[in-house]
Amino acid sequence: MTVKRRNERFSKAIPTRIWKEEATAENPFTSQSCSCYGYDLMDLMKNRSFIEVLYLMLRGELPNPAQSELLEALMIALMNPGPRHPATRAAMNAGVGKTDTVHILPISLSILGGKHLGAGEIEDAMRFFRKMNKSKAEDVYNKILKERVPPNEGDWRPVPGFGSRFGDIDEMPRQFANYLKSLPGAGKSLSWGSKLADTVKPLKIGWLTTGVAAAVFSDLGFHPRDCAGLFQLLSSPGLLAHGLEMAKKPITAMPFLSDEEYKIEKTL
Amino acid sequence: MKKHYDSLGFWEGCRGKFASRKGGWQIGKGVFSHGYNMMEDLVGKVSYFQLMILHATGYLPDRRFADWVEASFICMSWPDSRIWCNQIGALAGTAGASVVSATTAGILAGDSRIYAQKTLLEGMEFIQRTLAKKKSGHSVRDLVLNECAKHGGKPQLMGYARPIAKGDERVRAMEKVTEQLGFSIGEHLTLAYEIEEVLLQEFDESMNINGYSSAFFSDQGYSPQEAYQFCAILVASGVTACYLDTYDRPPETFLPMRCEDIDYQGPPPRPVPPREE
Repeated sequence: MTVKRRNERFSKAIPTRIWKEEATAENPFTSQSCSCYGYDLMDLMKNRSFIEVLYLMLRGELPNPAQSELLEALMIALMNPGPRHPATRAAMNAGVGKTDTVHILPISLSILGGKHLGAGEIEDAMRFFRKMNKSKAEDVYNKILKERVPPNEGDWRPVPGFGSRFGDIDEMPRQFANYLKSLPGAGKSLSWGSKLADTVKPLKIGWLTTGVAAAVFSDLGFHPRDCAGLFQLLSSPGLLAHGLEMAKKPITAMPFLSDEEYKIEKTL
Repeated sequence: MKKHYDSLGFWEGCRGKFASRKGGWQIGKGVFSHGYNMMEDLVGKVSYFQLMILHATGYLPDRRFADWVEASFICMSWPDSRIWCNQIGALAGTAGASVVSATTAGILAGDSRIYAQKTLLEGMEFIQRTLAKKKSGHSVRDLVLNECAKHGGKPQLMGYARPIAKGDERVRAMEKVTEQLGFSIGEHLTLAYEIEEVLLQEFDESMNINGYSSAFFSDQGYSPQEAYQFCAILVASGVTACYLDTYDRPPETFLPMRCEDIDYQGPPPRPVPPREE
């Protein structure tokens, strides 16, 4: 078969609902004003907070005070996955290895895209809330959790956003959820997730950080597909800070396993 | 419900030590990979693609298979900046990013549902699933038409048809490689041709490079996940080329845009409202 052009109709210009730039009179390539969903950027700078404009950028409308408060509280909760999280350790490895610092965020955010306590779990967790939040938490326990078998090794993550961490209930996300659900902007996902966490407590599983983030994103009205990147964005400050801290230290500042600690299971 | 462990012993056993199932450097003794002494057994004796497949699957393939995979990488490494992953490379160049940023960003773009390395997962699952159904007595024609029916009667089967153009010159190129290297046509590739025949009759659409590679890798005994793993950097070289095409020119000269070149479709200008209390 010979190769023939299909002549599909591609757009002549890039479409967007988010951003408009007005050109200067002198040069059509430079802009004299920018607006976000119709709001002038300079007016937003003068009158609104970063969190409000972030919400606007992603949802198309400014948040009300309750939504803004809920998002800001979550942003602080997610700000640092902590120095033991694989993504942060990747950032620190880049730093201590003297990798160009412009690569610290791309490297660590790629790792934070994983399905274990990462952005790769957010969409599934949000869809889980959508699917389940008309059921009773007890029903989820009876119908799903009781039928599933925990693994012999490692943690048990029977449903997205909930599970054990190092064999136990992860305490910090439990505290995050307890505070967040008390805020005026909290909605049914945070409430339902907290009931589920209480129900499954005897199994030593509970909220994971990804579950809390997914519940807040759901309560704020975000679409599940849009939130993996939002989770990465909100976790960025800690990744960057830990990477930069290590970039100033010698390569010996982080452990390098000895040969006794690094065994090779298969050799000739 | 049985608790699967009652102590922290599992994690304590992993803490501060690692038992590699792949290999490593034993300082003063050698560098080992999957049981091979790399400096003595592999360097100068196997190709980079053989090593890459060893590291991606755990098994050292013969040179012939590695050469086939290398040829297929050439098919996916065009220096055309209009291709999505390559355009990311070109944008990296015009923005003055590093060649490594450009190339890794382009590789990441290939983790796509519609093109490049990640589509091998769906392409191989499709051909392997369809072969199992064919063996259980279904006609290939029915299987193809049923699959099309799932997509509103359109020939949207992974590995067949493609955007931009009809037909795929890469399939013919790889058929020659298959023949030159002495590979026979296995049951998956036979089925792939049968599927193509139905699609040509019904829709004037043919097999693309994903369909051909998916069937070939399946015939060689690889799982979808293994093929995805050894094709992780499939598009890298084309991205690097497109990066250099723009990096060597003044910044922002790759398709610069006037403000009016953006088709704004959002709300009209509006005043920022006062904050609600």
